[in-house]
Amino acid sequence: MKADLVALRVQGLRKHFGRPAVDGLDLTVQRGELYALLGPNGAGKTTTLRMITGLLAPDAGTIEVLGHDLARAPGAAKMTMAYLPDEPMLYGKLKPYEYLEFVAGLWGLRAEDAAPRAHELLDWLGLRQHAHELTEGFSRGMKQKLALAGALIHAPELLILDEPLTGLDAAAARQVKDLLLSHVAGGGAVILTTHILEVAEQLAQRIGIISHGRLIAEGTLAELRERTQGASLEDVFLQLTKA
Amino acid sequence: MRPVPGSAAWLLLHELRLAWYGAMKRGAAGRQAPGAGPVALFALTWLGLHGLGWLLAGEVDGAPTRDPRILLAVSVALLTGVTFMLSGAIKASVLALFERGDLDLLLSSPLPPYSIFTVRLAGVAANTAAVYLFFLAPLAHGALLRGQWHWLAIYPVAIGAAVLCACAAMLLTLGLVRWLGARHTRVVAQLIGVLAGAALLIASQLHAYLGRDGRDWQSLVVMPAPGSLVWLPARAVLGEPWPLLALAALAATVFILTAQRTHRFFAHGLQLAASHGNAGASNKARPAPRPRFGRGLSMTVVVKEWRLIARDPHLVSQVLLQVLYLLPLCFIIFRHDDARLPAIGAGLTLLASSLTGALAWIALSAEDAPDLLRLAPASIRAIRRAKLMAAVMPVLALLGLPLLWLIASSPLPGLIVCLTTLGAVLGAGLIVFWCGRPGLRSDFKGRGKGGFVMNMFELLNTLAWGALAWLLPAVALGQLPDAAGLGAGAALLVAILTLGLAWLTRPRT
Repeated sequence: MKADLVALRVQGLRKHFGRPAVDGLDLTVQRGELYALLGPNGAGKTTTLRMITGLLAPDAGTIEVLGHDLARAPGAAKMTMAYLPDEPMLYGKLKPYEYLEFVAGLWGLRAEDAAPRAHELLDWLGLRQHAHELTEGFSRGMKQKLALAGALIHAPELLILDEPLTGLDAAAARQVKDLLLSHVAGGGAVILTTHILEVAEQLAQRIGIISHGRLIAEGTLAELRERTQGASLEDVFLQLTKA
Repeated sequence: MRPVPGSAAWLLLHELRLAWYGAMKRGAAGRQAPGAGPVALFALTWLGLHGLGWLLAGEVDGAPTRDPRILLAVSVALLTGVTFMLSGAIKASVLALFERGDLDLLLSSPLPPYSIFTVRLAGVAANTAAVYLFFLAPLAHGALLRGQWHWLAIYPVAIGAAVLCACAAMLLTLGLVRWLGARHTRVVAQLIGVLAGAALLIASQLHAYLGRDGRDWQSLVVMPAPGSLVWLPARAVLGEPWPLLALAALAATVFILTAQRTHRFFAHGLQLAASHGNAGASNKARPAPRPRFGRGLSMTVVVKEWRLIARDPHLVSQVLLQVLYLLPLCFIIFRHDDARLPAIGAGLTLLASSLTGALAWIALSAEDAPDLLRLAPASIRAIRRAKLMAAVMPVLALLGLPLLWLIASSPLPGLIVCLTTLGAVLGAGLIVFWCGRPGLRSDFKGRGKGGFVMNMFELLNTLAWGALAWLLPAVALGQLPDAAGLGAGAALLVAILTLGLAWLTRPRT
């Protein structure tokens, strides 16, 4: 595996919250790849993503994002990635453009880059007509869309998404899926968690299944099916996580 | 005897049980149930109020109840109380109608909407009356020990006033919700409470101000005759039977009419509230907003903090309550009395410290999206410094004018007050910067429960700089002996030590 093709490399990642939440996790995501991390509730998916984004310090292990060691050069690593948690990180008393202004300021974007990108994202997500409204009045789906716009405003190469389709209507979910596919087609990388197995089945090049903080299976859908003789990803998932 | 399930009495019992749980939860500060300490404190306070009632009854025994001055004082107190009651009743109405989230369940049950609305109305009245009776009933009991039965009028007056306020609040709430949306209605309720407090403070200061100039404030008021209907509420408070009966009849009639005439509007109002959840944020075509990107990190953070604070009227009203304390200072300033200058300095310094502490807590500790900030490549220290600036700048802007006035009228003491104010502002901001714990904006009022150590530091900082602002100008004006400079030195030492301790005990992450 060529080093310059690696978007994310996680080695020996551990985190204990009284009991092991993540227990010696190794995984790699390539550029141009969409990696789906699946697992039952409490398996350690969100904890893993929060460590990858630098929100949570690991007890042990290393994380490398597009060649930047997260522990040694967090600023450089953060410039190249974006995180969309399952609960959107918004300010109820800000309007959509104001929120994007703030996020662009945090990432140090120049006005000439940020302004057209903000217009484009709000147009694309259908939020332009709500530009005068405070986000506290938005529906769950609209909030998720705005958070996605905030995550994309600095054109990150690695997208880290925790349940990205939660609360989205069918049209918006389709938009997000198309975006993810075009992102990886353009050489970007995506790691996402989802409980909707069809999403992983449709989009992911590789799937990792995590249980009790350990990666218990990894591979393409075909490889996982072959390993378990399962007919669908659901069969594979249930078979692997039952034990 | 237990009421029949599904009856109005059964629903009322359910309502009262929820109110009781709510009161217990408030007392428990987030825990499941209040501890023995708070319960004992409540019990002692209640017993203490009985003693106060007994003493008070002794003081006013035999006072002429038809004296217009007494009637005026009672009327003003009643009006103030009713204003606060109305504010509380609106908040209770918003909660009961739109925020508790159980009305869909109730309205989908076979219970008639009329019963549901009537019980909700009674619940709001009971909730409102309970708070006031907790404090006022012991006064009546204390007076009863002296054989003054007429003080028992507190019960019907409080309940009657609560019923009238509940009806007015329910009607106002339904109307406001239709017009503004449920969220803004709550803010209006809080503003009514703040305005009532402000009016009370201004009235008290006006009285003192006019009194000093030798004018009799009562000469400004046209006093109606003792038999006038204007005095009826006050006479009811003083225990006269006919006014009491009139108040009770009025409350009962208004309650019945409100329940009968409004219950249809109630269901309609709920549907409107559901469909206009974001009322006030109109979707009408407007010119496209002109966002301003590229402000730089510090200004981006400062602007964001100011926007969040300015758009939260509830928070603003709570912060501005502290500014109300400026009003007595204004009355002193306008009297051009040099002897009062140290008091003005101390007042301004205390206010500066307290306001900065409040704003710094909002900006630094009550961050809505802390993860977003930690995800950003920007330095967290730089972001927090910008937040501190966002908290400090409005305070300096607000106090700039009075400080300039002080310097112009008495240069040396004015400059000293400027320095103490600056010290207090920086100290209060840095204490929150170093020791503030994360909290929610909605917990602003209860932020003191979150960090005892930080609160102690804030208090010491405020008192030390306040003492400096009092002592130094007084020494400079020759109002105090030079030896008072020792006291000022001690205050400065406390201020510096407090900051040093705050820095040493800051959490290291």
